[in-house]
Amino acid sequence: MPNDPVDVLIIGAGASGAAIAWSLLETRMRILCLEQGGYISDQEFPSRLDDYELARYGSFSCDPNVRQLPQDYPINVTNSCITPVNWNGVGGSTINFLGHWVRLKPSDFRAHTLDGVGADWPIDYQTLEPFYNINDANIGVSGLAGNPAYPDYTPPLPPIPIGILGQTLAKGFNKLGWHWWPSDAAILSRDFEGRGKCINSGTCDLGCAAGAKGGTNFTYWQMLENSGIELRTHARVREIIISDNSGMASGVLYHDAQGQIHEQKAEIVVLACNGIGTPRLLLHSKSKHFPEGLANRSGLVGKNLMFHPLRGVTGVFDKPMKGHEGPMACSILSQEFYESDSTRGFVRGYGLHSGRSITPMTYALGGYGIDAPIPWGEKHREIMDDIYPYLAGLTVVSEDFPEEHNRVTLDVNLTDSDGIPAPKVTYRLGENTRRMLKHGEETAKEALIAAGAKKILPKNDDKVWWRAGWHQMGTCRMGNDPATSVVNGWGRSHDVKNLFIVDGSIFVTAGAVNPTSTIQALALYIGESIKTNIANLFDD
Amino acid sequence: MARELLPQERTLLDVILDALIPRNPARDIPGAGELGVASFLLECAAKDEGFDAAMRIVLERAADGSVKDVRRIEAETPYAFAQLLEQSYKGYYSRADTRVKLGVGAHPPHPEGYEVASESSKLMENLTAPVRARGRVYRDAPAGENNAK
Repeated sequence: MPNDPVDVLIIGAGASGAAIAWSLLETRMRILCLEQGGYISDQEFPSRLDDYELARYGSFSCDPNVRQLPQDYPINVTNSCITPVNWNGVGGSTINFLGHWVRLKPSDFRAHTLDGVGADWPIDYQTLEPFYNINDANIGVSGLAGNPAYPDYTPPLPPIPIGILGQTLAKGFNKLGWHWWPSDAAILSRDFEGRGKCINSGTCDLGCAAGAKGGTNFTYWQMLENSGIELRTHARVREIIISDNSGMASGVLYHDAQGQIHEQKAEIVVLACNGIGTPRLLLHSKSKHFPEGLANRSGLVGKNLMFHPLRGVTGVFDKPMKGHEGPMACSILSQEFYESDSTRGFVRGYGLHSGRSITPMTYALGGYGIDAPIPWGEKHREIMDDIYPYLAGLTVVSEDFPEEHNRVTLDVNLTDSDGIPAPKVTYRLGENTRRMLKHGEETAKEALIAAGAKKILPKNDDKVWWRAGWHQMGTCRMGNDPATSVVNGWGRSHDVKNLFIVDGSIFVTAGAVNPTSTIQALALYIGESIKTNIANLFDD
Repeated sequence: MARELLPQERTLLDVILDALIPRNPARDIPGAGELGVASFLLECAAKDEGFDAAMRIVLERAADGSVKDVRRIEAETPYAFAQLLEQSYKGYYSRADTRVKLGVGAHPPHPEGYEVASESSKLMENLTAPVRARGRVYRDAPAGENNAK
């Protein structure tokens, strides 16, 4: 019966919510997942349309401030140089993410001990490793074993093709003696578990109509169909309720599609709304126990926001690179400059990622993640006819440090359609990040030239990509000390013993890799910890 | 509802569009005006009052003879011009017949996609050989204090 009390209430049906639902299935607890968006069928993905690229600038934009669908919430970004991007619906941002599937490294968990920056995680790579492996098997990850940039592991499927573009760049890296490796991808290189392999359509951001990309709509939620776990869509949580007597979470208030408010009671509440949505909900859940926002006695909810600032460098080659053929983000990546080297003028490091697909409209409008149209007139013709087909680029993906002034707060003057205050993002680049990006631009140029680029396209500014806010981390970080962290080493709130957080907000440091693989490994690890500790889950 | 364009306004719009994205006679690629991108813009204008107003600002400026100097129109009406430019690019490149001239499939990406051959094991082994030969490039990290019970 609707709104009967449940054992576990998960808020958010994206990457982490789906993974922990799967993990907890075997407990036979009554599990309910509330999702503010709906389910979108692969038949509705715009890559089936003749004018498919238009959707990138409208109803399938990665930017909720552009999309403005009923399930979206606006985000105030007037004080940020990067805007968060996402998808709200079953699958969350795995609907429109690009599936680049890179693990954190052992050193990422010890940035403070090794490099004197950020903080150490309360867990390490070895703790997460088995959960990375389980998750890779569930998602159907493609990749090449033996990458010397990682402790040994073997992806379940062979790599997706790196194509002419990847092969060309690989030879450049080899010429320089630099590390590179085919990208691991949450994209099927072979038919797998009833899903078809990738058809190289190059529109991963528009949903994957082939079902080859490992969004949770095609993976975990398919596995959970008929499992007994209830997924309630168009249910937007307004606040988490705290019992006056116990100080524990007793459930939530949520709006249905018509805006009507319901109360849903639960024994355990799990937050899975990622690095913007989770602090937004906590900060809005004020009570006499938590006047500054739920689980916020540390004052750190919303603080230490980290993105991965990006900058692209593009070279022009003498043969067509066929960039539109193949998965968008995943060809090869170099981690030559990932680990700290004191001679470089910055701490920690970055990756050089070779993306692929830039279709003509997207290129003409400035490129993916950017809004700066290329010139018009004769120059336009020259660029599109004589340069565009011959392009290959490298994206500098830099590590970001946790800094308290980079944060999520609430904007009471800007609300979603249910009147809930919007998140306000305050974010600026750190000096270390600027130096890292500058260094990355130079090494990217060197690699492109070594690969045979005849020309490097000039850049007129030092801006980072505007729509680079895919990776939202750090705003409810994990740690052993309640004074310096929001959740403990297995995702449980220090302040509210039956409240767990499983998304990117609990990252302590960001690394310089796409985070979804780690987000899901963390969700599985936290699920396992809940099962292990079930008898005394709420003890100190 | 947006007012329909007068014939002379439509002509001006086509001229501006051909200036924004001119034809490539050598490869028989039409310009945006002759391709009929104006129809796309009119559809946008019918749905978006803001864009309709922007387009008319540009056309008004062009009507005084400035159409011969589109750079001047851009300089004098930068915000309106930027909107017109963005929609013109969208209208032009959303067409399958334009995409195909640039080497991109005319078909929607799904279900056909593109044929991209997988690299053979031997090719991949050869390509990665120098990387493997160099050995590991990650650092060990001290073990952590895992506080999971």
